[in-house]
Parts: sequence; C-alpha cells; structure tokens
Amino acid sequence: MSAEPSDPLGSPAEASLTSVPVKVWDVPVRAIHWSLAALVAFSWWSAKSDHLDWHRMSGYTILGLLVFRLIWGFVGSQPARFANFLAGPRTVANYLRGKGAHQAGHNPLGGWSVVALLSLLGLQVGLGLFSVDEDAIEAGPLDKFVSFDTGRAITHWHHLMFDLLLVLIAVHLAAIAIYAARRRNLLGPMITGRARLAPGVEAPAMAPLWRIAAAAAAAFAVAWFIAHGLKLV
Amino acid sequence: MGEAMKSQAVRRVGLALAAAVMAGAAAAAALTGAEAAKDRQTHMKELGKSMKTIVDQLKSGAPDVGTIKLAAATIDKDAKALPTWFPDGSGPSSGVKMKALPVVWTDKAGFAAKAKDFQLAAAKFDAAAQTGQPSTFVPALKEVGGACKACHEKYRTKDED
Repeated sequence: MSAEPSDPLGSPAEASLTSVPVKVWDVPVRAIHWSLAALVAFSWWSAKSDHLDWHRMSGYTILGLLVFRLIWGFVGSQPARFANFLAGPRTVANYLRGKGAHQAGHNPLGGWSVVALLSLLGLQVGLGLFSVDEDAIEAGPLDKFVSFDTGRAITHWHHLMFDLLLVLIAVHLAAIAIYAARRRNLLGPMITGRARLAPGVEAPAMAPLWRIAAAAAAAFAVAWFIAHGLKLV
Repeated sequence: MGEAMKSQAVRRVGLALAAAVMAGAAAAAALTGAEAAKDRQTHMKELGKSMKTIVDQLKSGAPDVGTIKLAAATIDKDAKALPTWFPDGSGPSSGVKMKALPVVWTDKAGFAAKAKDFQLAAAKFDAAAQTGQPSTFVPALKEVGGACKACHEKYRTKDED
C-alpha cells in the first residue's frame, strides 16, 4: 500500500479537500453511532454486575436502534443507505490501491466494516433474547420458546459472541487511528456531522424530519413487540 | 497335601481377597466423590428446569396450574434433599469440573444456613402453588429465586461457561 501522504488509503489528501465542510452524517446516524457505543459498554457492565433488568433494557434499546438503522439503510439520508456504500470486491480492491472515485460518507472498505459491526451486534442481541441463566431466574423474552438446554447453549454463544464483538470494535478503533495518522479525521465528522469533501463531490441529500419520525415509530414498535415476547402487551 | 500347606494356601487366598476388597473400597470411595459431584450437577440442572417450567408458564399468559403445582412439588422435594448433594470428597478435589467453590466444604455452618433458607422458601412456595393463585405463589417464587441467588453468590464461582 502506498504511504504517500497525498494518497492515504485511497482518500484524497486533506489539503485537496474543499474548505467548507458539508453535512455528511445526519442526526440519526450520529445519535445511533454514539448510543450504540455507550450501550455496548453499559450492556457489558450491567451483565458483569448482575443488573440483568438494566441489561435487558439496554439490549431492547440496541434492538430498536438496529431496526431503525436497518430501515434507515433503505429510506434514510444518502450516506446512510446501504446501496450507496456497499461495493463489490473490485471496488474495494481499487480503493485499497488508491484508485476509484471519492464519495461522501463511507468508503468501500469502511462500508463493509459498518455492516459487519451492525450484523454482529444484531446477532448478539438475537442470542440475548433467547438466553437464560443457569438458575432459570433471569431470561431473555424469547427464552420461553426454547428448552432449558437450548437456552443455556445460546447463552454460551452470547458470551463468546461478545469477545468477537470486542475484536471488531478494536479493528474499528485501529482503523480510525490509522486514518488519523494519515491526517484523515474520521472522528470530527461523526461528532459534528460535517466533513470536507474532495473537489467535484456533491453534497449528499439528507432525509426530511418526517421520515426520521416514521422510521423511529416503526423501529420502536418492532422492538416493543419482540421485547414483550412477541406479544403486544 | 498336608494340613500346614492347606492352611498356608487358605491364608494366601485370604490375604489376596482382603487386598482386593481394600483396593475396591478405595476405588469406590474415589468414584463416590466424583459421582456425587456429577449427580449434584444433574440435580441442580433439574432444579433449573423446574424453575424454567414455572417461569415459562407464567410468561405464557395462560399458565397451566397443574404443571406449576407439579414443578413446585419437585422443587420442594429437591430442596429437602439438597444438603445431601454435597458429601465430603465431592468438591473440586474430586477432579470434576465444577462451579462449586471449596468454601462449601470449609464453611459448613454458613452453607447449611443457606440451604435451610432455600428449603423454607421452597416449602412456602410449594404450599402457595397448591392454591393455584398466581397472586399468592408468584411472590413466594421470587423468594425461591432469591434463596438460589443468595447461596450462589457466595458458594459458586461467577466464571462463565
């Protein structure tokens, strides 16, 4: 991989970017990102300290956020849509070689890391829904659909999956550090929502407020239904 | 064969038999520790299953009272037997992988007190369950869960499996 500062990981050098930052990450994307970061940490702590009520609430909230993010990946702001950032292997390879067109939002490699993180988190929440402790006192809302032995096996996977999640989070943080070392600030835009783009790259379209409200209502309903053991009340 | 030789042969056979019996007894004792540990783990798992049976019924929205009564009686019966599940030699020294901590066998009075709490809670819950009224037996079930937890906090490792 080229180490030239003009070509860090296929992204244009900071100096060549437009001087005026434009909106790239909308409020939902940023709110989900930072909420997930906080809730993963809280989930870990609440499980370790035997606060299973809080652990379940944390899991249900993550579930709702993930459902919202899934919906947002189809109807959200342009940089949030899967179709806009999931690229084929050739595009990813070109990006790593420093070729290919620049676009606002996720790069071709980062897009897949986002999907990997969200999928693993979804799997982790899914396993948690069916988990049961060895005394059958604490359980997820869907544990009632499986036997004690199955529930215990799923709990075992719930524990293992967390370690895998930590590995992916470490890769995520390492990637941010690598870009930072190459003078590409990924952290700032995830806080302010704004980033400087390469010349000629259009500012992405942002979704209207009513769509945020509609997606949030749908996500809340789905999470509520699952958290109540597939019952409405 | 002379009398002397005969009695010597008898004595040899006797010695061999005695040695075999002693070796067998030693083997049986070692086996008993590990076996008791494994039996205990089976019993504890059955207790967990009984708990889950009840909790699942309560979550179903239309709990089957008969199933709950049966599981409550099983828990009560298991609770009465529980102190016998921890004989000397069935601890970690038995070689069986377990979560039971050595303190079970070094703090026998403390452990017995926790077992007693569990027995009282289980008996109370069993009696409450036989009324068939969730408003009566659900609080009692929570006390059973609390008794399980109180003992596990101190006498079982928190390591995940």
